[in-house]
Amino acid sequence: MRRASLIVTGLMLIVAFFWSTPFLWTLVASFRPDSAIGMASLMPDYKPTWANFAEALDTGNFAIYYLNTAIVAFGILAVQIVTISLAGYAFARLSFPGREAIFYVFLLQLMLVPPILIVPNLRTIVDLGLYGSLLGVMAPYFASAFGTFLMRQTFRQIPRDFEEASVIDGAHWWQTLWHVLLPMARPGLIAFSLVSLMAHWNEFLWPLMVLNEPRTQTLTIGLATFALGTEGGKEWGVLAAGTLLVMFPLLALFAVFQRQFVNSFMFSGLKG
Amino acid sequence: MRWIPSLAAAALAVLAPALADAQTKIDFFFPVPVDGKLAKEMTRLVKVYNESQKDVAVTAVYTGSYDETKLKAQAAANAGKPPAVVLMSANFVLDLKLSGDLVSLEPMLKADGTTREKFLSDFWPALHANATVDSELYAVPFQNSTPLLYYNKDHFKEAGLDPEKPPRTWAKLVADAKKLTKGSGDSIERYGFALPEGYDYMGWIMEALCMSNGGRYFNDEYGGEVYYDTPSMLGAAQLVEDLVFKHKVMQQGVVEGGAVSTNFLAGKVSMMLLSTGSLSFIRENMKANYGVAFVPKNVRNAVPIGGGSLVMFKGLNDEQKTAGWKFIKWLSSAETLAGWSRFTGYFAPRKSSYDLPEMKDFIARNPDAKVALDQLPYAKPWFATYQTVAVRKALEDEIQAVLNGKKKAAQAVKDAQRNADALMKPYVDQTALKLP
Amino acid sequence: MRMKRMRHALPYLLLTPSLLLLAGFTYLPIVRVVWDSLHDRPLGQKKSLFVGLRNYAGLFSDQAFLKAVTNNLIYAVGTVPLSMALALLFALALQRSSRVNAMLRALLLFPSMVPLVAAASLFFFIFLPGVGLFDYYLGKIGLRGANWLGDPDIALWSLIGITVWKNAGYYMLFYLAGLQTLPGDVLEAATIDGANAWQRLRHVIVPLLAPTTAFVLVIALINVLTQVDHVIVLTRGGPSNATKLVLYYIFEQAHENFAAGKAAAASVLSVAFLLAMSVVSLKTMERGTHAAS
Repeated sequence: MRRASLIVTGLMLIVAFFWSTPFLWTLVASFRPDSAIGMASLMPDYKPTWANFAEALDTGNFAIYYLNTAIVAFGILAVQIVTISLAGYAFARLSFPGREAIFYVFLLQLMLVPPILIVPNLRTIVDLGLYGSLLGVMAPYFASAFGTFLMRQTFRQIPRDFEEASVIDGAHWWQTLWHVLLPMARPGLIAFSLVSLMAHWNEFLWPLMVLNEPRTQTLTIGLATFALGTEGGKEWGVLAAGTLLVMFPLLALFAVFQRQFVNSFMFSGLKG
Repeated sequence: MRWIPSLAAAALAVLAPALADAQTKIDFFFPVPVDGKLAKEMTRLVKVYNESQKDVAVTAVYTGSYDETKLKAQAAANAGKPPAVVLMSANFVLDLKLSGDLVSLEPMLKADGTTREKFLSDFWPALHANATVDSELYAVPFQNSTPLLYYNKDHFKEAGLDPEKPPRTWAKLVADAKKLTKGSGDSIERYGFALPEGYDYMGWIMEALCMSNGGRYFNDEYGGEVYYDTPSMLGAAQLVEDLVFKHKVMQQGVVEGGAVSTNFLAGKVSMMLLSTGSLSFIRENMKANYGVAFVPKNVRNAVPIGGGSLVMFKGLNDEQKTAGWKFIKWLSSAETLAGWSRFTGYFAPRKSSYDLPEMKDFIARNPDAKVALDQLPYAKPWFATYQTVAVRKALEDEIQAVLNGKKKAAQAVKDAQRNADALMKPYVDQTALKLP
Repeated sequence: MRMKRMRHALPYLLLTPSLLLLAGFTYLPIVRVVWDSLHDRPLGQKKSLFVGLRNYAGLFSDQAFLKAVTNNLIYAVGTVPLSMALALLFALALQRSSRVNAMLRALLLFPSMVPLVAAASLFFFIFLPGVGLFDYYLGKIGLRGANWLGDPDIALWSLIGITVWKNAGYYMLFYLAGLQTLPGDVLEAATIDGANAWQRLRHVIVPLLAPTTAFVLVIALINVLTQVDHVIVLTRGGPSNATKLVLYYIFEQAHENFAAGKAAAASVLSVAFLLAMSVVSLKTMERGTHAAS
């Protein structure tokens, strides 16, 4: 048995290595002093330099970009957690006329795509007086069909016995939701948080449409200034450095969160 | 989760849209098609303008690529927040005018007591067609480029060619490329020649080849005609096919612009056609000796213009229009254009920019910039028709098939013509074929 | 009595915040897109005219659209089963909590964290013919690379590769979560009894994971039709339309060709298709859950 699991781990190590070669390359390339020769090599066969990072940072005010991006990504997530918990609870635990139909109407949100949404949503944002503000970037995402879907699934997998016990104790629905269901739904919530943060941290087109001032720009817009050039050549080193700058907080968050993330997956409320 | 309300409140308080005051505030959307340093320089320029006067406050907004800039400008105008000034790819101007998005600049010229002819007389003649639609001014050229032949002088020496004599004709180009190509069959170490062949770039390069072959490519005075199925275009397409399959001096399949320049810098390609907009980049990053030259000709020297122009969107009030026009005039003054040109590597659209002492000095120090300038008198307008992008892709898809050995050049230009004609039919039916 | 009315109203109250937001940012655009699909704006005119189903008819006579549908089918068949199978295998291999497994999970999930604006350029480099990462290392082991994005026979498969790379780790998350809901002894038995591992996987674990699979399938199918960022930035549908997917076609019609009607018609069709697929697979999933419990 030990040998079998060692073999599995060994195999997965190999898979993970190949899976991460693009990142390995990004890391190596970001410290490479020379932008043309031997660029493809994964070996750090050079004297590392910070020049690429310095150049990337020099193209914009990254401190503001970080702050704005964090406000957008965490702001969206905070509101979403409220809306999806309530809606997920209603779909999973309450029975009411039209439940099925409303659920599928919810799902429509998943199927819409940016090119359809940009024009009408931008008009709505202008009408709400939110054009050019970070709130305008966030507003369309406050409700999440995906999150509702996920919470519904998670709630349904929790045995009803737990709540029944709390209902017998005379608890209100919100007390049950807050004290019993949400703690047990942590794996779902954490998975969703991760997904939501990744999506909004990296979003480009919609913020580009809404934001109108340097002081409200987000990270991806800053990154685009040197990633999207076509008439010039590509400065791979700077690009690699910029990519790491954008990804770093997310990776760091994940690394710090990893233990808790795993724990909540592994020892979630299901064991009591 | 006590932090949620405070976070929301903070977002609301700090980042609510700014309120207007006495100054006329206008937005200026600009893309950065070359590299990140340009965004910074543009922001600096706008700051200089804002500090130089009190009536207009311009907010410079970086808006991604040319495509995204168009998308954003149209969406914003649609939602009732039109940008006052946009730096737009010059070949979108016709389409945007036809779809009713742009403001005619004629009233502003009139208010200034000048005429279109007088206003445009200082701009290079090749730029006029892309700035006007149906004899009205809609755009002011700002940053421009043409294709250019870049070649590796060290490779020339190594192959026994004279590094000071780059090919001037297609015949010489093929002969040199054959000598420069290293290896054969499946293991080619170095290609003699490369072209940028992704969408957008491919169309521009085909225009250069077709024009160097005596062709016109499209009717620059009427948006419903392209000349794809013509001897001049067939010759250009055949050249591309032969470079890959007969002479074997160019890589098979589509190679994007970024791949071409990377290969050139890495010494994997000896000659390439690329935009003059890449001059600064190559100058800074090329380790080997390189030179630049005119695009080689078969019949005549001719290249298309590319680049961006300043336009104004519909839906502005009079104050914003006046403010926008004032800003456009400042941005397109000989001095500003000269400074921008030196910084970016684009050429300045105004002839008088080159009379400025700092510009003369710059040209003297950078012989490659001089070659680009010398080629300018041979420049022609950039491709623009009804549905520019789709009509351009109609040709590009076919040439890409040729590059992959899926089609012969003769068939490709026929199919391209048929598809392009079908795309332009609605426009043709409503204009040239709408008869009494 | 008041309590009771309250109980009746409760579900709707809970749904109100979401429904209000969805009304503003989802249903409004849907209404607009349906309206657009039935109208067309003649050249040079400000007002739109009602044209009935003409935009839809135009769609089916457009070779580019039909090509996009075919491409999308190939893309779906190429990405969905493979990324889901990999996701399940990854989840099974890494379900035990350990430091090494935690790190490996993180590595597999990283691809979903790359900002798209950068991912495109990075992949552009990786696939660069001759000097890119792929060709460089293939060359080292004596193989000849290909023009990964520039050859119409290969380009779509390169994009399929990127999609599988990007999504497998992401779907793994859901399988990891799904595995947690299974009774511990089932998994334990499956891991101990090596000889029967495959049998157990097929006959015990996979059926028990049916709800998760249905969920991931819905997400994967939606991704196939709604995520084409890599096409937009890497190939723009080329070469010669080889990588043109339906959404990219919509994008092109709406923003490059000023053909709002056609774009809207294609959008309505893809939303309808996705909704039908989701309803079917969710119904299956619900039935699966009942059968299992």
